Amino acid sequence: MSDFLPYALALWNGFTVTFLVSASAILGSLAVGTFVAVVVTSGTGLPKILGRAYIELFRNIPFLVLIFFFFFGLPELGIFINAFWTGALALSLAVGAYVADAVRSGISSVDRGVYAASITYGLSHAQRLRYVILPLAFRVSLRPLGSIFINLILTTSLLSTITLNELTNSAKIIASTTFKPFEVYFVLLVLYSVLTYTCSLIVQTYHHRLTRHL
Amino acid sequence: MIEFRNVSKSFDKKIVLNDISFKINKNEIVSILGTSGAGKSTLINCINGLVAPDEGDVIVDGLSVSNKNEINEIRKKCSTVFQSFNLYPHLSILQNITLAPMKVLKYKKDKAEKEALALLEKVDLQSHANAFPASLSGGEKQRAGICRALAMSPDYLLLDEITSSLDPELTAEIMQVLNALADEGITMILVTHEIGLAKKISSRIVFLESGRILADKPKDVFFSDAFGEENARIKDFLARSEGL
Amino acid sequence: MYGENTFSHYDVLLWLTGLKATLSMFFLSSILGCLLGTVFGLIRYYRIAVLAPIVFSLGEVLKNSPVIVQLFLIYFGVPMYFDVILTPFEAAAIVLSANTTAFIAVICVASLESVDKGQVATARSFAMKETDILVHVLFPQALVVAAPLVVGILVNQIQVTSLISIIGVIDLTQVGHILNQRTFEPFIVWPVIGITYFVLSGTISYMGTRVEKKFRIPE
Repeated sequence: MSDFLPYALALWNGFTVTFLVSASAILGSLAVGTFVAVVVTSGTGLPKILGRAYIELFRNIPFLVLIFFFFFGLPELGIFINAFWTGALALSLAVGAYVADAVRSGISSVDRGVYAASITYGLSHAQRLRYVILPLAFRVSLRPLGSIFINLILTTSLLSTITLNELTNSAKIIASTTFKPFEVYFVLLVLYSVLTYTCSLIVQTYHHRLTRHL
Repeated sequence: MIEFRNVSKSFDKKIVLNDISFKINKNEIVSILGTSGAGKSTLINCINGLVAPDEGDVIVDGLSVSNKNEINEIRKKCSTVFQSFNLYPHLSILQNITLAPMKVLKYKKDKAEKEALALLEKVDLQSHANAFPASLSGGEKQRAGICRALAMSPDYLLLDEITSSLDPELTAEIMQVLNALADEGITMILVTHEIGLAKKISSRIVFLESGRILADKPKDVFFSDAFGEENARIKDFLARSEGL
Repeated sequence: MYGENTFSHYDVLLWLTGLKATLSMFFLSSILGCLLGTVFGLIRYYRIAVLAPIVFSLGEVLKNSPVIVQLFLIYFGVPMYFDVILTPFEAAAIVLSANTTAFIAVICVASLESVDKGQVATARSFAMKETDILVHVLFPQALVVAAPLVVGILVNQIQVTSLISIIGVIDLTQVGHILNQRTFEPFIVWPVIGITYFVLSGTISYMGTRVEKKFRIPE
């Protein structure tokens, strides 16, 4: 049993890295995506076109290519940040496009009458967004956002290719030292499934709580 | 005073308001009547800034709706009550009413809630203060909508077909509320189908057809037989509507 | 002098090689995935005993775990455990086909269930054979619902193919690595690779929409 301990520890460390980079990227993509969604739905002219271009572009280029672009490109610009933050940045921008599309859809679903009411009572644009439009948009987009973020957690496994020591990389190291790749990766598969299942339960509960009154 | 100066508005090449000019003074209760599509809602929406006139201007107490800096001041003076209630679904009734006073008029939470509860008591909704719009009936929602409008202590109350989504019994409920408001001397502009309501509480009738003002008379004149004789279209309209 | 550090026209050939690998992987896994996915979807829809729950659980695991881990499992794990030999391309083909199958199966079930149940009941009351009901009543209508969803999956799968580079297949992404390591021009290499994928995605999306239109039932 004590044979497993160092491996369990290594996996636990990997798990914490996965957790932290996922959390950072979720917050980052939420910020980027909401901003772009607001620009695309209420802006006009150049910002709106740029926003749409961002969504189209980043949704149709593989995550891996984007991650490599940042990992190899940033040092060329003189920006030297570690694998963790490179990964968090790349994922925030990559997933941000999906978040933007989901939030944009949520914003357009807000009832036009309710929107009209928020205008006629004198709320400023920022106040309307904060107190009426975004709360309602997020209630609608919650489930799509949930699956986007669950997918993000799975995508963090790609960061193993840029030397980040998250869960998949830890497993890879264990597999190469134990020469039992089948067993190790099988367990890893199960671990990830459990992780995503737990997250989808959390999303379900949160969704139920928020839409109770609607 | 609200003044329309040669206001015209088209949607998709269809002319909805055609060179409208008239004034509304304080303490008047004006009902805007007319056939469907005559432009009544658009008229009201020009006052609260939901619609921008293509030509002409609307001046509210010296402020112009076409001026980006002044339109928000106008919105503080004019509260709108809507046909489909348009309550914020994610907020409780109390929060619905206190949102604008707290954020626009900068009231403190205690003051806003106290005034909101007082308003709810007036329309007998205080027990629903913490309920959400989805659990209220149509009549209750509209009463809440009226409270939301009154919470801003507006100079002008704009009422856009507020009984059209309600069953007849609930309409009576609302008519009572409006009666009480009328007695308090608030300036109201009503767009309505309910001839009975218009007859009872308004002081003046403006009749709109195809984007033009066909008649603008004090209530008693408008509903008199003599007037009806002179204006066939209006007589027609009244006859058809009263039959409902 | 050794080692040209700049691009040459041979790199276009390299790019084409990568493109070929990416496209063949895409078509192979998509076709297999659609066929198997439909079969598994039907198994779930008709709730065939024993098989249906197995298919469901397998599908859930495939959809909810990272593809890269599935690739490692098949490419590194299976040969070690089962004493077989797999090339990177073969391992990748197995994994990507299985992945596509899982998503297509879900779409298949959902689109079949979206067909108005009254129609099935009516057809049964006319003593139509189940297979005929499937072919003539369910399938055409389910297809209309499924088509846009399938296009979405396919557009996603072209991007998933980029993962096969990790286990050594010389696809577009791997070509990117090769060029990047030789020329040290990440700002040229990766945008070019990225735009290639973008154009591929767009083409699939466009063609998918055109095919979708053909299936649409006149209202």
